[in-house]
Amino acid sequence: MFWLALYLPHLPLDVLGRACADDLPLAIGTQAERILSCNPAAAAHGIRPGLKVGAARALCAQLRVQPRRPAAEREALERLAAWLMRFTSLVSLAPPRSLLLDVAASLRLFGGAPSLLGQVGEGVAALGYQGRLVLAPTPLGALVMAIRQGGDGPIIPDGPALRAALDPLPLAALGLRPRELDDLTAMGLRRVADLLRLPRAGLRTRLGPRRVDWLERLLGEAPDPRLPFTPPAEYHGCLELPAEVELASALVFPCRRLLAELGGFLLGRRAGVQRLDWHLGHARCADTRLHLGAIEPLADPERWLELLRGHLEQLDLPAPVREIGLAATELRPLNPAAGDLFPGCAAADASGGPGLLDRLRARLGPDAVCGLALVADHRPEYAWRWVEPAEVSCGIPRADRPLWLLPQPQPLAERAGRPWLDGVLDLGQERERIDTGWWDDHPVARDYFVATSRRGERLWVYRELKGRGGWYLHGRFG
Amino acid sequence: MNLQQLLARRTDLWQGQVARELAPAGVPTGLAALDQALIGGGWPPGSLTELLGDRPGDGFGLVLPALARLQSRWLVLVDPPLPPFAPALAARGVALERLAVVSAGARGAWAAEQGLRSGACAAVLLWGGRWDDTALRRLQLAAATGDALAFLFRDPDAARAPSPAPLRLRVQPVPSGYRVTVLKQRGGRGGAVLSLPAAG
Repeated sequence: MFWLALYLPHLPLDVLGRACADDLPLAIGTQAERILSCNPAAAAHGIRPGLKVGAARALCAQLRVQPRRPAAEREALERLAAWLMRFTSLVSLAPPRSLLLDVAASLRLFGGAPSLLGQVGEGVAALGYQGRLVLAPTPLGALVMAIRQGGDGPIIPDGPALRAALDPLPLAALGLRPRELDDLTAMGLRRVADLLRLPRAGLRTRLGPRRVDWLERLLGEAPDPRLPFTPPAEYHGCLELPAEVELASALVFPCRRLLAELGGFLLGRRAGVQRLDWHLGHARCADTRLHLGAIEPLADPERWLELLRGHLEQLDLPAPVREIGLAATELRPLNPAAGDLFPGCAAADASGGPGLLDRLRARLGPDAVCGLALVADHRPEYAWRWVEPAEVSCGIPRADRPLWLLPQPQPLAERAGRPWLDGVLDLGQERERIDTGWWDDHPVARDYFVATSRRGERLWVYRELKGRGGWYLHGRFG
Repeated sequence: MNLQQLLARRTDLWQGQVARELAPAGVPTGLAALDQALIGGGWPPGSLTELLGDRPGDGFGLVLPALARLQSRWLVLVDPPLPPFAPALAARGVALERLAVVSAGARGAWAAEQGLRSGACAAVLLWGGRWDDTALRRLQLAAATGDALAFLFRDPDAARAPSPAPLRLRVQPVPSGYRVTVLKQRGGRGGAVLSLPAAG
């Protein structure tokens, strides 16, 4: 068994700070008007945890102090857990600030323990969190070491090594209750080694069975099953911006964070989405809503970011943005493209097509890109329709039809019983009668001819057989 | 490799007349007479071709046989003058599930360039728009980058202005099909007049 513990020492700050660039001094204040934690930019001004908020403000006028928000922290932890599902199927929450991953089966896939730690660390940092990672044989061992950040390194390969890492720690590192700690200190115990040396039976009567069970789980002597985290069926992400943003282009940075989170969520579920709903919260007016659509289900955050950029470029913000929300509700299974047996052989293929069309749509509008489809109908105007690109249709291909169809038949003048368009039209020998559609509101009764104009162009004209009759131009052969 | 071959590989160099065997092999047009008249034996690959017709729809039928053979990638029509009639396209072998019609208006050049450059398109057909030397050069460059065919449909007045397009054809419909005049072709002579049957 191998467990990876991710401890987020600055979670209250990260929840807020990951929406902005690093150079903005930020701090979390407690109810007692004390600084709980601050980011490096604030620390550079001499601000330290424990300082009075007033004193901190005196040190740095631009400092933003926000209260802690436990609900947001919990949500952030869950979203991070969903993101971590890409590394293992068993992620477990260890509130308030930790996550546990069973990575025994993942080590090989991700290229060994150091490589896995590197990938998790990079990903967590890219999402805007500061995390400490420890790999250990037991979940509690990994957690204690991650919180303590002591020992010889982030990888503890086996039980003896865990014991060796725990031994020199002070008792406080075990997260004991104050009364327990006082009792043990009164007994003359200082380090974890002193505690673990004691006979268990005596310890059980002195500390109670629960604490001793905990110690056995810590050392791997008793099993420690963990409740797996179940990722939600939909993704809802939200970022509160520490400072109001007035420029749409400045939203790209926080949006990238949300998209990275969504990317991990989708990867963990092996799914993609075709539609993203953004909402930009303003202080004084209704939220701006933004919908992004893609032609095929996408999971890659970079592709979504590219589409989002196209939209943001054209967006006029009615007011500064305080909050960004992202929702992906319709998850579609993703069919990853099959790799090529001989890489490099398939030089030109259509795989970039959907991406291209999405780009065009992002810039030109959702209705600007269409596909064509056949419809099984004899009436020319109903024999085709606009569809989503890449939709496969079945209908009747007709080689004797013109390449261009006029959206509305154009009435033609008639002279001596013949249609006239810049000169008399030469009707061919062939006549095709289309008399159908009596079952709906658009019945058609026409005689079609392929006519030749004076300049030699071939035209598709018809004579109306009902009502007032007359000649019409309906298509051009081009 | 001699100098002749090196020069022939540069599609942005105007070279007067080159030997037929040195010209890059063209994409077969599907019309034997046209293949014969074009120096590479077909539409010049990865280049811009201008088709000048009296009406914007003229000449569409001329390029369709070649497009029907390019099934592996997308076909993009930018601002066609009228809706293309799907049953006729399908009958001529165009794969409708790989065809996109883009209405770009003033951004036609941008849309066409995106399509050509992406490498996902076998051909981009483009109607309308105002064109100067720089814009046409960009199109040509994008076509070369994405190894795609670019067909630009323009009105006949455009023949008076020079263009960086390697191939320019004047297309006139006649009852039997098309009358095509080769106005310019890189590495070959212009001036040939062809009578081509209507495709399909």
